[in-house]
Amino acid sequence: MKKVLILLTMVLVLLPANIFAQKQIVIGMTVPGLQFPFFVTMKAEADAAAAKLGVKLLFIDAENSSDKQMAAIESFVAQKVDGILISPMTTDSLVPAIEAAVKAGIPVATVDRKANTNVVLIHVGADNVEGGRAAARYIVDKLKNKGGVIELEGTPGSSAAVDRKKGFDEVMKKSGVKILVSQTAEFDRAKGQSVMENLMQVYPKFDAVFGANDEMIIGAIEAMSGANIDLKTKVTIGFDATTDALSYMAEGKLGATIDQFPGKQAGQALQALFDKIKNKKNPAKNVTYINPLPVTK
Amino acid sequence: MQTLLEMVGICKSFPGVRALDKMSFDLFEGEVHALVGENGAGKSTLMKILSGLYLADEGEIRLRGKKIVVTGIRQMIDAGISVIYQELNLIQHLSVAENIFLGREPRYAGGFINWKKMYADVDRLLKPFNVDIDPRAKILSIGPAFQQVVEIAKALSLKADIIVMDEPTAPLTGNEVERLFEMINALKKSGVSIIYISHRLEELARVADRVTIIRDGSMIVTKPLSELNTEEIIRHMVGRHLSEQYPVAEIPVGAEVLRVEALTKKGVCSDVSFSVRKGEIVGFTGLVGAGRTEIMQLIYGYLKRDSGKVFIDGKETTIRNPRDAVLKGIGLIPEERKKQGLVLGLSVFDNSALTILDKFSRFGLLRMKTIGDLVRGMVAKMEIKTPTIRQQVRYLSGGNQQKVVLSKWFVRNCKVYIFDEPTRGIDVGAKVEIYKLMQNLALQGAAVIMVSSELLEIMNMSDRIEVVFSGRIVKEFKKGEASSEDVMEYALGLHSRAS
Amino acid sequence: MKFNLRNTLKNYGIVIAFLIICALLAFMSPVFFTLNNMILVIRQTSIYGIMAVGMTFVILTGGIDLSVGSILALSGAICAGMLKSGMPLPLVLALTMAVGLGCGLFNGLVITVGRITPFVVSLGMMSIARGITLIYTKGYPISGFQPEFRFIGGGYVFGVPVPIIIFLGIVLIAFVVLTQTRLGRYTYAIGGNEETVKLSGINAGFFKSLAYVIAGLTASISALISTSRLNSGGPQAGIGYELDVIAAVVIGGTSLNGGRGSIWGTFVGALMIGVINNGMNLLGISSYFQLVVKGFIIIGAVLLDRLREQAD
Repeated sequence: MKKVLILLTMVLVLLPANIFAQKQIVIGMTVPGLQFPFFVTMKAEADAAAAKLGVKLLFIDAENSSDKQMAAIESFVAQKVDGILISPMTTDSLVPAIEAAVKAGIPVATVDRKANTNVVLIHVGADNVEGGRAAARYIVDKLKNKGGVIELEGTPGSSAAVDRKKGFDEVMKKSGVKILVSQTAEFDRAKGQSVMENLMQVYPKFDAVFGANDEMIIGAIEAMSGANIDLKTKVTIGFDATTDALSYMAEGKLGATIDQFPGKQAGQALQALFDKIKNKKNPAKNVTYINPLPVTK
Repeated sequence: MQTLLEMVGICKSFPGVRALDKMSFDLFEGEVHALVGENGAGKSTLMKILSGLYLADEGEIRLRGKKIVVTGIRQMIDAGISVIYQELNLIQHLSVAENIFLGREPRYAGGFINWKKMYADVDRLLKPFNVDIDPRAKILSIGPAFQQVVEIAKALSLKADIIVMDEPTAPLTGNEVERLFEMINALKKSGVSIIYISHRLEELARVADRVTIIRDGSMIVTKPLSELNTEEIIRHMVGRHLSEQYPVAEIPVGAEVLRVEALTKKGVCSDVSFSVRKGEIVGFTGLVGAGRTEIMQLIYGYLKRDSGKVFIDGKETTIRNPRDAVLKGIGLIPEERKKQGLVLGLSVFDNSALTILDKFSRFGLLRMKTIGDLVRGMVAKMEIKTPTIRQQVRYLSGGNQQKVVLSKWFVRNCKVYIFDEPTRGIDVGAKVEIYKLMQNLALQGAAVIMVSSELLEIMNMSDRIEVVFSGRIVKEFKKGEASSEDVMEYALGLHSRAS
Repeated sequence: MKFNLRNTLKNYGIVIAFLIICALLAFMSPVFFTLNNMILVIRQTSIYGIMAVGMTFVILTGGIDLSVGSILALSGAICAGMLKSGMPLPLVLALTMAVGLGCGLFNGLVITVGRITPFVVSLGMMSIARGITLIYTKGYPISGFQPEFRFIGGGYVFGVPVPIIIFLGIVLIAFVVLTQTRLGRYTYAIGGNEETVKLSGINAGFFKSLAYVIAGLTASISALISTSRLNSGGPQAGIGYELDVIAAVVIGGTSLNGGRGSIWGTFVGALMIGVINNGMNLLGISSYFQLVVKGFIIIGAVLLDRLREQAD
């Protein structure tokens, strides 16, 4: 009974994919987690791009787990999709699954985060290190190369956190602006608030705050508002250009955020996959970086 | 005879209690030495010190004349001392052989278990006992008697020359007890010394060479068994004359309180009907597994019945769960005191008050003072020995624990009390107190049901005796109508048609 | 009573450890022992401290609730959604708490009626609540509320932040419930021996379910504070909170086997975690190192508890 049920479910899941496979290009897409607005935006724009190209997009959320993402790729291969679009959880963990997919004749494109393999058709990403540098340059510029900054890091050990910090610290070291303290708030808004509250006491004379994502900088801004700090006197910059960050900017509470154009990334990668599948055309370059830029409005 | 073991001047205290006070004990080679005393007298503590589980505060242990400095259980096992606890320490889902050789499995050079050798070793160990146990059988598939044999085999495999047996006959039937005694004699002949702890004084005559009586943590007397009779042993145990082990009371019998009609549950009991009146004590006896406990649990709503009716004060009532039963005025003192009667980690107060919290709240808040007074009164009246009512019940002796279970129901004033094996594992002194409490309940107009395996208790305490065999009431006796032999014959099913 | 070092350590070990840590931090950071920072710590602690109170009930029954972080996210998101739609504030508060209550009730009923272990049920609820949150928010945080709502997370009464008042109030209520009501006494008894409780004619399932209802309710109260403090309700809220919450309860000396523990222990345990987070920020300790310190403190606290049990 149970087995029949499982079989039935599997058939139901697989059926539409197989029916459409003959007429329509099917591409499997998986991202680290839809709890992050960044990937929600990425998916939304990928959906739009797919609709424009007439491609069917199968989507699986990895729910912040490499294992789940690996299973997602395996199920794409089993369903014989025409291409796979992936933003891998980590640089290494998904390599075997990606290589297996390519071996099965399915082109794979990576978006935003890279995979440590040369078999992918194309990587379209924003360089997180470069993004960190851009954020640092924005602060140095605004502070006229003097003063002190509080840095909020992402989840310890995640590549985005490590790379953004690397770029940011690199530029800061060469500048006249001092990093007063750098603490993790785990990419989380509530933690961003608590950590900022704590840090403001030790470094009351800070001039700028850098949040390695928008969630943390928004938390920090809420902490500053709570402490009756005039936000206009502080330079603030986040990362990811989420809708919330943009509305904080519109209200004049947030200075800037780094935009990595997740939608544009996904769109370009999808286009490359489409060209390969439909027209057997390889992309001109197999790595494309979209330059991350601070947006201030 | 050579002295094998000496324990001298052993003292041990726990918070609020002096468990052992200059206790002394010795054991000869190849003897069976019985250790008797009331519950809480210090037997278990002494044996736990011998096994290395507890360290003594003072005193010394000498083995073959040499003093040993105890560091822990491992050391005592290596020294040849094995304890077989009342609650057997076997792993239910492992085989007989695995249990015997747990942690010491014979292995091949590569580290893989040598099953062949293991099974052969078990067969060799079991051979002298002339029992038919498959070394591959899982523990849960063999009976308690065989489980005990496995424990003994395990002790022997550890090369034990001192084996402590704590209430070994408690879970056994008559036949099995005989087998155990044969095994003990066999062990004795092979030079093993045995410390035998038991409440069943009549057994001692069968196995013991010497007896040590312990009371309040001190040695009272050590003598060859032949120099003591049962009367004397009991007197030493309780420190006073037990002129009336079974108290007698004239209690007027009133109207019917509980009536059960045609109670049936497939595979458990069928067509059970009986009634209990005000002031009456009705005894239920039968062999273990005859279904006595289950019948009580069916009445109480803890098990679901297939059919049958329960009447209280002449009115039919629905009892779907224990909550219903309690609301209708029934209280159950369960067989398994620690597992079903008490919350060991809670205090005397919390345990005693468990059944009455619903009666004493105001605006959702408990009337702690009222409840406290009630419990304190009950603790005093029942003479529960505890430093304070805040003491966790796990630290009380068996008899006092049982009194806490009783007080939990007494404070609620039930109409019907069901006692399931109320005196199991309880010393003589406490037994008498519990009998008196039972009679007191009857005197106050309660209906009492007592389930018991102890024939003497049933014979002496019951106004009527219901004998259960194989899920049915096969005979009812009035008090004084039958001899113990008569009752036993019915309990053994000798008068029942094969069903 | 005579002073006895061993007994003192036994009964107040965690408080002493807490005071030692506070003293060390005060010594190392001049900011730590200021009134302002103390208030901050307690305010930050209030969010998971409140949840830890609910969790104490659950763990006392011998259960566990892994879903509190997700329930916080769901209640917070729905609260934010209702606020944005302009619903009157009292109604929003009531309905938000009803969400947490409902999730807890679901947990409790499946555990008691369905007889599934709490670990599994709450693991399922953790996923369900998070999923519904994502569906409801479509992955984006919801913000834009009427200013009065900010009072819950950011307001003051006689100079004391409102979250602290709510936190202390809940601790106090929980203390009274645990010591002075049937629910409380049964909670301990169920954790100690459920069979005995049933045989004493008590509807153990009902009272056990209530523990999960309380856990859900406290999660939604925390959600109100968190949503108000952040001025938004987001799908990412409360991720991993269950672990900090369970840690607070365990550090506070409540046994994971049930039946033993106290609300004051939980209170100190929650403060301990708050103080450590705060202290490491103040000292600017690297984030990698912070994880190690936290881990050792959790294990150390349970070890302390084990020693206490052995001494008994």
